Amino acid sequence: MRRYQIFGLVTAALVGLGGTARAADVTVFAAASLTNALQDIGRAYEQTTSARVTFSFASSSTLAKQIEAGAAPDIFISADDDWMNYLAAKKAIKQDTRVALLSNRLVVVVPANSSVVLDIKIGADWLRALPPGRIVTGDPANVPVGKYAQQALMKLGIWDQIAPRLVRADNVRSALVLVERGEAAAGIVYATDAAISKSVKVAGLIPEDAHKPISYPMAITAGSKSPDTERFFAFLTSPAAKSIFTRFGFTSR
Amino acid sequence: MTIFDLSPIEIEALVLSLRVALIASALCLVPAIGVAWLLVRSRMPGKIILNVLAHAPLVLPPVVIGYLLLLTFGVRGPVGGWLNDTFGIRLVFSSAGAILAAAVMAFPLTVRAVKLSLEAVDQGFEFAARSLGASRRDAFLTITLPLMLPGILSGLLMAFAASLGEFGATITFASNVEGQTRTLPLAIYTATQMADGDAIALRLVILAILLSLIALTLSELAERWARRTIYGT
Repeated sequence: MRRYQIFGLVTAALVGLGGTARAADVTVFAAASLTNALQDIGRAYEQTTSARVTFSFASSSTLAKQIEAGAAPDIFISADDDWMNYLAAKKAIKQDTRVALLSNRLVVVVPANSSVVLDIKIGADWLRALPPGRIVTGDPANVPVGKYAQQALMKLGIWDQIAPRLVRADNVRSALVLVERGEAAAGIVYATDAAISKSVKVAGLIPEDAHKPISYPMAITAGSKSPDTERFFAFLTSPAAKSIFTRFGFTSR
Repeated sequence: MTIFDLSPIEIEALVLSLRVALIASALCLVPAIGVAWLLVRSRMPGKIILNVLAHAPLVLPPVVIGYLLLLTFGVRGPVGGWLNDTFGIRLVFSSAGAILAAAVMAFPLTVRAVKLSLEAVDQGFEFAARSLGASRRDAFLTITLPLMLPGILSGLLMAFAASLGEFGATITFASNVEGQTRTLPLAIYTATQMADGDAIALRLVILAILLSLIALTLSELAERWARRTIYGT
């Protein structure tokens, strides 16, 4: 009896002290590349309502795995269709709410003090223009930016040359940091990531037809509980949100 | 398929982990003995600061250690820049970087074990040796150090076991490069990120558990053996 009371007290204390998200809070799991834009959109949204929005940013693979394991955000925004399809197959999202929210572009970035300019096209030997050293992007096995990059490099016919130099980062922002800090000679990231960093610059654009179109699908999750979810979901496709996405370099789909 | 039927990727991660852990724990040893001696025997001022610094990796978030290492030992950092310009050594993306991260994280464990054993050494033996004409160095090397052996062994093996499990500092500082810095924990993490990586992850998890338990058991056995041999208890 006493033991149960203690157990109850401890549980209550943990829940009380730990604090859980209020039911009204909308929780959004979003691909790391969306960090800055979504934070601004969240602030803009919170000015229109008393409800709060909480974000968790990581690689789409990490987030999809967390949702599969029972994490219950209200909205998931992935950086590619694969991970959204993955959750759809597990019935973890409401398929009828799924929309293609945004698009992006792939660029090759180099540290800001570098003067390299690359003309990237099929058959061009643009790798030669890069200084020696590692080339970093997301892990092609699971991180969306890496998957797009691998498709593009294969189409451009230089995958075999690059593969031994490739560093497979955890998510696109880790890749960006490694170029910023000069650890990697170059990186393949989204145009929007290149735009927010002062320590890197774009050396060349990867042709859009070299890879599957970059698509950020968004959906409400099956476990969504917040009554405010649909309101924020609608806000994400509103002109106000669109103008913020555009400001960061995303294109609407 | 049994657990012992390892794939080349698993073997690579396993061998790399063992190599990193072995070198990292060996690297810790001499500095740890030095720091332990300063903490226990010396009368230097500001001992508490040294104590806090030596133990900091135990309580700081591993990502903090990893990030500080990146700022210091990255090619843009003061030490890393010098290493790169002078010797052409780059630590990020290399197993040397993984070793450094593991060594820094394991250092406090080695210091603790060595320090405890040094505290247990009766200073009377040292005084006796000194009174018979031994220099401070000889007294330390021939009397104190052998008596510290149980602590030194257990410190070494603790550092080895901890290095096997190092994750946060390694991925932050040395990144996740196959064959260079992708040790067992990083390989497990990578597998958990893949769409159908659960089976791979689980096999690696079992491997990691076995390895850690073996290292811990060895640490316990070695300490007992040394204690029996030296103190007869």
